[in-house]
Amino acid sequence: MKTLKFFFIIILFLNIITISYADKEDQLVIKISKNLRCLICQGQSIYDSQSDFAVSMKLLISKKIKLGLNEREIYKQLIDKYGEWIVYDTGLNKNTVILWGLPVLLFLVGGAIILKKLVFRKF
Amino acid sequence: MLANHIGFYSLIMGLLSSILIFIFSLKSYQGKVIDKRIIPSSFFQLFFVIVSFTSLVICFIISDFSNETVFNNSHTNKPIFYKISGTWGNHEGSLLLWLLVLTLFLFLFLINSRSELKQYRVLTVIFQQVIIIGFFLFVLFTSNPFSYLFPKPIEGLGLNPILQDPALAIHPPILYIGYVGSSLIFSATLAAVIENYISKDWAKNIKLWILISWIFLTIGIMLGSIWAYYELGWGGFWFWDPVENVSLMPWICLTALLHCVLILEKREILKSWTIILSIATFTLSMCGTFLVRSGILNSVHTFANDPSRGIFILSFLFLLVSISVIIFFLFHKENQNDYKKIYFLSKEVSILVNNWFLMYFLSVILIGTVYPIFLEVLTDHKISVGPPFYNKLIIPFLVFFLVFMSIGPNLKWIKETNIKNKVQLFIFFLISLFLSLFLFYKSGQTNLTITILLSSSLYLFIVTIKDFFTKDLYNLSKKIAHFGFSLLILSILLNSILSKEVIVNLKVGDKFNFKNEKIIFNSLENSRKVNYESVVGSFTIEDDKQKIYEFKPELRIYDQPVIITSEADIKVDLLKDKFLVMNIIKGEEYFNVRYQIKPFMIWIWISVLLLAVGGFLSLYKRFYEK
Repeated sequence: MKTLKFFFIIILFLNIITISYADKEDQLVIKISKNLRCLICQGQSIYDSQSDFAVSMKLLISKKIKLGLNEREIYKQLIDKYGEWIVYDTGLNKNTVILWGLPVLLFLVGGAIILKKLVFRKF
Repeated sequence: MLANHIGFYSLIMGLLSSILIFIFSLKSYQGKVIDKRIIPSSFFQLFFVIVSFTSLVICFIISDFSNETVFNNSHTNKPIFYKISGTWGNHEGSLLLWLLVLTLFLFLFLINSRSELKQYRVLTVIFQQVIIIGFFLFVLFTSNPFSYLFPKPIEGLGLNPILQDPALAIHPPILYIGYVGSSLIFSATLAAVIENYISKDWAKNIKLWILISWIFLTIGIMLGSIWAYYELGWGGFWFWDPVENVSLMPWICLTALLHCVLILEKREILKSWTIILSIATFTLSMCGTFLVRSGILNSVHTFANDPSRGIFILSFLFLLVSISVIIFFLFHKENQNDYKKIYFLSKEVSILVNNWFLMYFLSVILIGTVYPIFLEVLTDHKISVGPPFYNKLIIPFLVFFLVFMSIGPNLKWIKETNIKNKVQLFIFFLISLFLSLFLFYKSGQTNLTITILLSSSLYLFIVTIKDFFTKDLYNLSKKIAHFGFSLLILSILLNSILSKEVIVNLKVGDKFNFKNEKIIFNSLENSRKVNYESVVGSFTIEDDKQKIYEFKPELRIYDQPVIITSEADIKVDLLKDKFLVMNIIKGEEYFNVRYQIKPFMIWIWISVLLLAVGGFLSLYKRFYEK
């Protein structure tokens, strides 16, 4: 019974939720600008920065979306122009195989060590 | 002038007394009893560093610009509070603070460890003293805070305005206590390895120091994040920025160590792993200092840096790590009699799983932070590793971590036999799955991973709440900390899913309508403050229930150096933060206005505080039991 009450309280609580303000196009601008580095700032994204560069970049992105380009095409154009440095999401390529692979590999090795120790019961 | 000289000479006196302590402790290691002069000289060492630090503070207060550090980082018209906090808002001063905490910890260790083995105690002092002397040399030779300027400049260059903030004024000292605490863990571990004293008793003793640094590190990271939230960001509080990462890495390592020591204390297993974690925590803390101070990292938090200093820290760190590795391999012997049975369903295994995941998260952050540096050096290829990388690699694993965290702490030590009682855990799981699907439907989310993560964090949340209703109060500290963690993940998640924002360019008198709400830009007011020009905008927001909120965001144009900062106006309540900030657009009469609703923001801070409270309780319990 207690659990059930608790459950209902949470459901009531969830009713405060409403849907986001922004329309789809704005959301895409936000999503893309969060993934771009502001090149003249220190470690801030275009989304977080208010520098001239970031402001004009945001305008550029929304223009490109209106022109009908999709997310991937926009990234590609920007990378061609500014280099890979500008996108935060590096994607998997020959330069980043180790970046993406090594943590997962370490995870597997760690798991194997623990399993081995457990099976052979030697600590 | 006078304070400057006193500061410099007491720093030298401090170095002399630390060399004395080193010699005394070497002698007592060979002798039968501990040298009685060690404690007084360690007191003097602490005393001299305090005097030195105080003189630097005085130099800042009286704005003595014949001191180079003061000249570079202060200004006469700065408020007194920020003159004082400017002492550690720069490289030289922060290192002196680091040294102060180092010597303080050694002194506390000495007076607190009278009941422990003599050899262990002496060796800990020796190792700690090596670190202290290293830092003394570092401060004196590469970053002397008392360099003299002649002729004396009339005015200083000023402190970076975004550092002039109460949260950031106390953030470094607290973070440093956490960092430096790990040095004592490091020294004590090496001493215990040599003395073959890695045991239940040692685990009990070292837990105190682990808890202290863990608590301070937790609070320190939180303060930095709160600062980023209202000062730097546009409502963001964690950017996966390299400097943030280097503070998070020792925290993760320390958290793993904290759990690992529990197993050591209960069952005397995992000795080597405990040693490795202690060494790693300290190395990561030192690396943090190195990376931040060397200027290698590109970050929002880096303010002062100089490559030549990085080299010193790096070589010193390399030396310490090599010493510890050599000691580990020479002295540490796994005792064959330690053979103990481990069952799959037991608390030990669940803590092991915890360590396994924590190490994975650590490796993701470590590789993500240093990989771009290496890639650039080796191939001249510049890439950015940002939030998407961390999200993609951490979130899928976090799901399992949360589920294990819900089940693990409920298992028994050695072997869990009572499996029937765990049906309840399964029911809770179903409930949270249902709730998150409900939320999925309600919020129009389309991201499946987020929904799965949500259900697992809800699960942990429900289980940790349930744990409060069991009768045993013994583990209250653990319950609070675990509850804090579940609340943290849940509020971060809900915050990121449910945040809403509007960005619009407005001029005075403009109105803007969006989704039944209204922003009205009423007026703009200029005024002159001590060291900045203040421009306060007045906004009214009318929400869909016709409720009216007044916002007064501010722009500050600082005099020295000339930097514009924008101060957000944040209305905090229990359910959500309303966040409004404005910014100048160059050459336009418009202002860029950003209005955000950030649900459950305050719960992020509360939950981190709960983590720290859990730590404090455990600390308290430890003293109480003594």
